[in-house]
Formats: sequence, C-alpha cells, structure tokens
Amino acid sequence: MTLVVPPSHEPAAEDPTGPAAEPLLDGPADDSVTAAVGRLNGEFSGRVGPQLVVRVVRDCRRELGGSPVGALPELVERLARYRLDREIG
Amino acid sequence: MGYVDVSAVRHTLSDGRVLLDEVSFRVGEGARAALVGENGAGKTTLLRIIAGDLTPEAGSVARTGGLGVMRQFIGSVRDDTTVQRFLVDLSPPAVRAAWDAVEAAELALMETDDERAQMAYAGALAEWGDAGGYDAEVTWDTVTVAALGVPYDRCKYRELSTLSGGEQKRLALEALLRGPDEVLLLDEPDNYLDVPGKRWLEDRLLETRKTVLFVSHDRELLARVADRVVTVEGGTAWVHGGDFASYPEARTARHERLAELRRRWDEEHQRLVDLVRTLQQQAANSPDMANRYHAMQTRLAKFEAAGPPPERPPEQKVSMRLRGGRTGVRAVMAEQLELTGLMQPFDTEIWYGDRVGVLGANGAGKSHFLRLLAGQDVAHTGGWRLGARVVPGFFAQTHAHPEWLDRSPVDLLWHGEPGRPGVDRGRAMAALRRYGLTVAADQPFRTMSGGQQARFQILLLELSGATLLLLDEPTDNLDVLSAEALEEALAAFDGTVLAVTHDRWFARSFDRFLVFGADGRVYESSEPVFDETRVVRAR
Repeated sequence: MTLVVPPSHEPAAEDPTGPAAEPLLDGPADDSVTAAVGRLNGEFSGRVGPQLVVRVVRDCRRELGGSPVGALPELVERLARYRLDREIG
Repeated sequence: MGYVDVSAVRHTLSDGRVLLDEVSFRVGEGARAALVGENGAGKTTLLRIIAGDLTPEAGSVARTGGLGVMRQFIGSVRDDTTVQRFLVDLSPPAVRAAWDAVEAAELALMETDDERAQMAYAGALAEWGDAGGYDAEVTWDTVTVAALGVPYDRCKYRELSTLSGGEQKRLALEALLRGPDEVLLLDEPDNYLDVPGKRWLEDRLLETRKTVLFVSHDRELLARVADRVVTVEGGTAWVHGGDFASYPEARTARHERLAELRRRWDEEHQRLVDLVRTLQQQAANSPDMANRYHAMQTRLAKFEAAGPPPERPPEQKVSMRLRGGRTGVRAVMAEQLELTGLMQPFDTEIWYGDRVGVLGANGAGKSHFLRLLAGQDVAHTGGWRLGARVVPGFFAQTHAHPEWLDRSPVDLLWHGEPGRPGVDRGRAMAALRRYGLTVAADQPFRTMSGGQQARFQILLLELSGATLLLLDEPTDNLDVLSAEALEEALAAFDGTVLAVTHDRWFARSFDRFLVFGADGRVYESSEPVFDETRVVRAR
C-alpha cells in the first residue's frame, strides 16, 4: 500500500489567509488532512494557533502513513486531537 | 490448486479403542472426493485430523493451498454468533488473526484512548489490510447478497440463530466457494438444504476448481459430484478411484479380495504349522531332519511376524423388521382438510399398501400434516380419519423428543409406552443388536449420533406394531447402508407408508406423491416434484 506523504513545511506566519487557505499537499488533495484541519481549527479556536493545528495534523498524517486509506481521516483526526489536547494541557 | 496427503494416520479413542489405523490416501489437485462410511466409523474425526483440530497419534497430513473447513454443526447454530463472526471464522488464518487483533485494539482504545493505543489500532488496521481483510469484506458482501439477499452491512450483526439451517449452510458454502482457500473440507454440506439447495450445491461443486473432500449421506449428491470415494471402514480407509455408480461393485470386490487373501494366509499358516509338527516328530527319530525342522520353525516365525492381511471389514448388519398388518382398504381419508394458515383445503385418499412421498416447499405444512395423522394436536379445519385397524407410528426429527434426552435406549425399551409394551433387558439387547445399536444401549439418547438416534426410532416403530408409518425425513442422518436397510424394510412392510423427504434417491422408492406447493395448493403427482420454492413468510 503506497500513500502520498504530505509536506510538513510551515506556512508563512504573516499569511493573512491563514493555513487553511494554502494547499496542504503536493499531490492530490488529502481529505484526511483537509477535513481534520478544518474541524480541529474550529474546535481549538482561540486555544492554539492555526499553524500548530496544521503542523500537528501533518505530523500525525505522516506517522500514520501505513494505515489503510479509508481509515486515515478518523485516525489522523483522533490522534491530532489527542496531541492538541495535551499541548494545551 | 491444492492437495491433501494423508499418510499412515492412527487415532485412538479415550477408552483405548483404535478408531483409525494406517489411514493413507491422497486427494489430488481439483479432485472431488467423497468420504463415506458407517455412522461412527471415524469420518468426522478424520476430517478434524486433516483440518489440524486433532493431532494424530502416528502418521502425518500434508497439504498445499489454504484450507477451508465447513463443520458439521453449521445449520444448527443456536448461540449468539453473528453473521460477521461466522464469516471471520470461515476465513483463512491470517484474516482471522488480523480480525482478532483489530478487535483487541478497539477494546484497548475504549479503555485507554492514549497515543499508544491509537497507534496500536492504526497498526492493527494496517495488518488487516495487508492480510486481505478489506478484500474479504468485499467478498462477504457478495456472499450475503447471494445467500441471504441482503448486503453485508445490513446483516453483519444479525445472529446466526435467526437464520434457518439451510441459510446457515448456504452462507458457509458461498463463503468457502468464493473464498481464497484452495482445499475445502465439507462435513455434510447438504444437511438442511432443500432439493433446489442441494442441486445448487451439486452444480457449484461440479464447477469449482478447488480440491474438495466432503462427507455426505445423500446418494444423489454422491452420484453427481464425487469423482472418487474414500471409505472409512474396518478401522482404516481405502480409495475407490471411480465414481459412486461403480462404488458398490468396487466395495464388494474389495471385500471379497480381502476375504480371499485372509483365507489364503490362514491356509498357508496352517500348512506351515502342520509341517513344523511333522518335522518335529521326524527330527526326534532322525538327526538328519533336525536342520530342516529348525529351518521350518524359522520360516513359520517369520510368516507369523509379518502378520495376516487385514480382515474383511464386518458388514453392518441392520436388520429392520417392520411387520405392519392388514388394515381397511382406505387407510387415510381427508376431506377439505386445511391446516390453519398453511394451505388451501384439499381432499385425498390413501389406500392400504400405498407408499406416499410427501414433498414440497419448506414451511408448507408437510410435517404438521404427518403430526396431525399421528394424533397430535394440530390446528385444522375440514375432516380426516384413519381406516379400520390403522395404527399410526410416527418417526419425528430428532429434536422432537426432549423427554428422551437423558434416558438410554435400554431404559426406553424397558419402560415401554402406551401402545408399545416394555421388554426385558435380554429382548431389548437382541433388538438393539439387529439395529447395530449394542454399543449405544446404555448411553443417554442425547449422546447418540444422529444416525443411531434415527435407527433407534425405527426400532420403536417396529415394536409399536404400527400399520401406518408416518416418517418425517427418516434418512436425514442415516449413513448410506442404513438408508438402504430402511428402504428394504419399508419394501417388506405390510401396511401403508407416508414419508416427508428431501432425499431424491429415497423418494424414488415411493409410488405416489402428495405435493405441498409454495402457493398453498396441495396436489397429487405420479412423479416426485422437488422444485417447489420455499414458502415466503414475514420473518
């Protein structure tokens, strides 16, 4: 099973449109990342910065790279939520 | 493609009896081998050894290709197993192991939702994918649609106990025949299937490229499907390389050959013993003969050490004496009879001596009809009556006698029941011997095999003095030889016989047929009718 590993570069800090506006992957859109970033940004709004959400989601996505494609959205979002929870303590 | 190679297998029962010894045979790639033998001969044990459930005391089993096993109990599952679990259990070991790991990881995640548990769950899902689990789920969807008419997602949590025996069998067969395993072991795959279901099974077995070893007592299925026959008898097994049509002749020839070899061995043994005796006497008088005497002694010792050839297997002696007796010319009369909610009103007259096959759709009321004639309480309208001197004797499917379960055959015979006087132990044992039931004489009814239970019920009919036999699927659990013994007994029976049956071979021995249609119509036929579909009811 070969999965596209998303890039992990940081978005520019001064980008007024925020991280959700930039392409999240080099290849075809990765729903597991896009959907998780969208939901977690809303959920953690005001508690963590959007850049951190993107970075955490991308890291989770990369670490779960060997998982079945169909299960990725749930796995990525769940792991990212757990890590963000721990981040804010 | 796969094969099975059984070599010099030996198995001893817990009571010390050797059940199987020197069992060797090969089921080659793409073969469709039938495994036959008397009830209790060791067929299921042999299948369990091949499946790896039992370790043989000696010998080995080699095979290539994945192994799919359909066990005998399928069709009578009454616990809380779900369709999903059932399909998992029929899958290859790697899929089963991956499934168990996913379940364990899910449970762990419910307990502790931390990073470690999440990564373990992701790892288990990856393993599930690598083991072919997602492909298996696609197959299961095809399987449930084919067997039950609903997609996998809609029935996966349904309990197997809510399915009929035929549906359980069909589900297992669809899964195994569509699955990846190249060798299939099928223990009575046709039990619980109606005739269209059996025909479907025959067609699928004929078209599959898998290697199949199956146990069946259905002579029609054996005749259509088997391209070789492995027989378990006399504590060992032998292979007839042809089809079932030529099997009886081959078996007889083999038995005669074994008897002949044994006779020759006994003769040669006697000749050598006599020679040794003669030479012994001569050696006492003549020292010249001493050398010849010692040489002959050595020859006899070697001959005895090599041992005799295997004995001819004992013939199963099932001797049924269903006597009956002369009754009025009209044995059964029904006028505008309707079993409430099951059928449209019908008329029939059954004459003394008739052999009537009661055929038709599952759920159409055939068994109820027999129970009504047996005098049981069955809701109905219209009229029916039995003729003069007609005494009904009812053979019910085994689960119909919960009161017998903890009692032994001797006990049941000794106590008797209304219409059947009790007999002492001596007479009971003599009767049980005629039915090949001596070994089961003192064991609880519940522990007897299906075939033993069936033979015992026929013995009770014999002792009851019935002149009208009402038989509900009497051959279902009988091995081939017992079924033939029953047919012979029925042919000699002086009385009238009505039998519900799905056994096409058995049905051919009847001379008229009462068909219960799926549309509720009951009609007469001079030929057996087996294509009535199942009655559709809200479930």
